Amino acid sequence: MIKLFWQRLAVFQRAEFLSARDLLQRAGAISVLFLVAHVAGLREFTSVLNGTVGSTAVNVKLGTFLAAVYILLYLASVILVPVLVLAALMLVVWQRCVRKEENFSGPRT
Amino acid sequence: MKRILTGLAALVVAAIIWLPCLHLLFIRPLSEFRQDPGLSSKARQLAARHLQLWTEPALREQELKKMRASNAEWDFMGRSYLVWSLANMALRDPPSKPLYLQTMDQIIDETRRLEKQEGMYFFLMPYAKERHYLVQPAHSLFLDGEIALMLAARRVVEEKPEYKPLLTERVNVIVERFQKSPRMLLESYPDECWMFDHCVALDAIKMADYLDGSDHSALIRGWIAMAKQKLVHRDSGLLISSFTTDGTPMAGPEGSSIWMVAHSLQLLDEDFARDQYQRARKELGEITLGFGYAHEWPESWKGEANIDSGPIIPGFEISAGSSGMAFIGAGTFGDGKFLTSLAATLDFAAFPSRTGGRLKYCASNQVGDAALLYATTLGPLWQKVKTGGKP
Repeated sequence: MIKLFWQRLAVFQRAEFLSARDLLQRAGAISVLFLVAHVAGLREFTSVLNGTVGSTAVNVKLGTFLAAVYILLYLASVILVPVLVLAALMLVVWQRCVRKEENFSGPRT
Repeated sequence: MKRILTGLAALVVAAIIWLPCLHLLFIRPLSEFRQDPGLSSKARQLAARHLQLWTEPALREQELKKMRASNAEWDFMGRSYLVWSLANMALRDPPSKPLYLQTMDQIIDETRRLEKQEGMYFFLMPYAKERHYLVQPAHSLFLDGEIALMLAARRVVEEKPEYKPLLTERVNVIVERFQKSPRMLLESYPDECWMFDHCVALDAIKMADYLDGSDHSALIRGWIAMAKQKLVHRDSGLLISSFTTDGTPMAGPEGSSIWMVAHSLQLLDEDFARDQYQRARKELGEITLGFGYAHEWPESWKGEANIDSGPIIPGFEISAGSSGMAFIGAGTFGDGKFLTSLAATLDFAAFPSRTGGRLKYCASNQVGDAALLYATTLGPLWQKVKTGGKP
């Protein structure tokens, strides 16, 4: 029942590759992952960028891994997410224009 | 197939639109970073974080432990930059002077105590112990110069009689060694001399002259003439970073050094300082898509990433160390365009974290943030000494 509910929610339905919905879903997924990483406090580990360990509570390898995860998600959320959203908007506008054109050029009865 | 091509085309067009606009999310008015007169909001927030570190020993211990695990020098330099910043802040914000002076004294006293108790190697990297200093008894110009400048900065803000003999003693040691050295080059590490440390030490001597009426202007002039002749990289015209006691270059011109060197030289020789800044700006400074950053080396010099340069981001060859120090150069010489773009990069890529009016940069550390604080506040200390008004 619960599974059916989630499946019916449009946002979770599998979209066609590189369609507007697909791009928005990817943007949403990146944003959620970044939010999780941010709330989990991974930002502190980015001090590896200057050669300082982010926290003395975890070992250097784990700290570096967590920093890399955070940095990649951050860059994806400020660079990739807006590009995905903009591209999705462009596709929506494009599709509407195409549809309008098709309607205008279709047979008149 | 058509859908995929349309999707890819939309992505390319969106990227072309977004990337040049990205910096607009992070660009702020210059007055948020540096404000004349007074203190900018960023300076106040950064300072609040540092003052907290000096009122909460457990927090300070934690920060220092993280830094010392990588480099004991950073512990020391974090103290120096903070004291120099607080001196400028006290001159910019007289009502808060008592708090700033109290913190400066606390840092100076604790630093001197640690130096005395643990020895000078406490603030040096481990390789300092691997060889003997050529000039005995061993002294590091790195420590002597920065401690002298801390003492002098404190006294310029407000005289503290206990610090007068301490400054005189440090300055005398440095001057005596300069006079005995055939090439006027003093060791920071065994047979390893640094431009940065020489310029800071000469600033301390200049300030001691201002405070106590001594006159070492001939020494300062002589040293600068020597540096222009023997310590300049021919292709770039920039001062080299490190050399042996006989003047043999060890490292070439480096961004992690030259921006602060240009700032230090401003107190000693304004024209030469500006020349070095302009060369560094041309050879090392970059602004791409509205974001400012700096390289560690000019194109005419090849170097390896090290503890000072920080990691080098390939492709753009961005050096974290050089980019951080570039704030000091740009702030000193009023290069608003470069400073604004550097500040945009800082907010984009250094992961600012604000809590209760306190600011730190997660990708930085205490010494990095202290150097940034210095960039937001520098000016009044040099100005007071240069204009020659009575202390």
